[in-house]
Amino acid sequence: MIEILRETQFPILVAMLLLGAVAKAVDRSAQGPAAFLPVGVRRFFGLANAGIEAVLAVALVALGGLLGDLARGATALLFVLGLATLYQLRKRDPEMGCGCFGGLSTEPVGWRSLTRSGLLALAAGVTVGLPGTGAAAVTGFTAWHGLVLVAELAVFAALSPELGELVKRLRNPVPCELREVPLNRSIRRLRSSDAWADSRAFLTGTEPVDVWRHGCWRLVRFAGQRRERPVDVVFAVPLNGMRKEVRVTVTGTRADTEPAAPGEASAPVSRSQGTPTHSSRFV
Amino acid sequence: MPAGLGDRRRFTAALLGRTVAPEPFDPPARVVRGVLVDISPHLLSLATPHGDERFVLTEATGFWRGTGSGFSDLRPGQDVIVRCVPEAASVAERVWSGLARATGVIAEVDEDILRVDTGHDREPVTVVIPYRASGRMQVRHPRLEPGYLFDAVGLWDDGVLQALLPATSQPHYPAADAPRRPPVRSAAHAIAGMVSWYDPARGGSPHANPMGLLGGLAYPALDRAADCGAVCDRATGCAALPLLSLGATVGLVNQCTGESAILPVVACGAAVSHFCDRCVTCDSPARGRIAQLTLASFIALGGRPEAGCFNATLTVG
Repeated sequence: MIEILRETQFPILVAMLLLGAVAKAVDRSAQGPAAFLPVGVRRFFGLANAGIEAVLAVALVALGGLLGDLARGATALLFVLGLATLYQLRKRDPEMGCGCFGGLSTEPVGWRSLTRSGLLALAAGVTVGLPGTGAAAVTGFTAWHGLVLVAELAVFAALSPELGELVKRLRNPVPCELREVPLNRSIRRLRSSDAWADSRAFLTGTEPVDVWRHGCWRLVRFAGQRRERPVDVVFAVPLNGMRKEVRVTVTGTRADTEPAAPGEASAPVSRSQGTPTHSSRFV
Repeated sequence: MPAGLGDRRRFTAALLGRTVAPEPFDPPARVVRGVLVDISPHLLSLATPHGDERFVLTEATGFWRGTGSGFSDLRPGQDVIVRCVPEAASVAERVWSGLARATGVIAEVDEDILRVDTGHDREPVTVVIPYRASGRMQVRHPRLEPGYLFDAVGLWDDGVLQALLPATSQPHYPAADAPRRPPVRSAAHAIAGMVSWYDPARGGSPHANPMGLLGGLAYPALDRAADCGAVCDRATGCAALPLLSLGATVGLVNQCTGESAILPVVACGAAVSHFCDRCVTCDSPARGRIAQLTLASFIALGGRPEAGCFNATLTVG
């Protein structure tokens, strides 16, 4: 039974290290001990921390023998250092989150974070001396291993305030007007839309000449040509979910030309038929 | 507005509706900026890009050059901006000369000289705090150190800002340590907050720099993927503003005077995104800066540049 307990720590440790590394790598807020460093080195500290955790996770999976024991010992040392740091952090700024999982760790350091760090240090410590690699141990898992794993996961879930924060964020997502949305995502959505397929015949280039944002919409302008005259083909790509459809308008490039407003759409854009100078379509 | 940005508004209106991107609508008050040619107790003459203009001075006309000075401090050759009485376009209601402002994060300190970073799209401003203003500046800007916020109004002196009046109470933490905005469940159509101002011409007369009479605002929540760009240094401000781009138009109502306008977004307001202060001009509880108006628009909307701010409601279609 003791061997089962020791071997079960591998997937727990690897999952915690990898999740922590990813969360720290993508986070730009100053949570945890990084907040006490000079502004210029905070990001470097976060990335270095994430890198160390990722390397240790890979080492736990792949290394056995002496090197594996070194990796396991280093993991235990990392969690012990983390525990000591959290203790100091709690004394210095009781309102500060631990930063263990980047921006998700906003709850002030409390007994749950401290206990979790202590248990993870213990978990890493008991794996020292196990034969073979972490990967080999996991491939030999039995039903008993599964039971122990589920029980341990439940304990760590109960000790993780980040789960509550994650649920809160999923229930109350940032409104689309305020959400940062990568341009690539909007372009991908545009290119998979019916409006794009219907308007491609007018485009003279596939790279946008102008891109701008208006709340829940991203507008993308392309150069185009119709009846041998230059036109602007402008798409409005919704940023809130997949239900709204991409809109498009095609208009002459003269500055005094007013494009058609939504209620004034005159004729649909189509590959097969000619269209008037001002046309607007809502696909 | 920079060339081509007007097209964005037209296309937005065509695709999303005219109420979403309304046409710009100037505030009612007339604002004129130019070089002072002559001044007498009853008449002020300005050289503007459209020719000389004369304004009648009355007993009610106010003057500002420095701290509450009178018209005797005005000299020919100075950069002057006049707000006219709304019903009488040639009667001066208030006259300002040499207005300057630095809003941003302190980048360098060299004894008594500060260099203030005013945003990624503007040149930093060199600031000197004269001895006569140092007491009042020290009270509201106790930490003149790199990384801390700075906002002061003063006078231009050979390209250097003489800071005379603090325009905010400096937070006790560096800009990078500002608390994160609490989660926002839904975006509001109208957002209350404070507006401040900046001078796109940096004290230059409209002859030398036509930006001196630019109408519009610098918006503190410009989309990073488009105009704000890779060097964007704006923070997530404490006012929950929808993300927009240059060329968008927004409605603004001065809560102190009731004056309103629809103004275009003409610049990035990265510097004001770091501030989470409130304006005490008309006692509004709203925190956060929702716009940084150009000097001309700020005055036209009823603001007093020496006060630094007024409370407003911003509406995005």
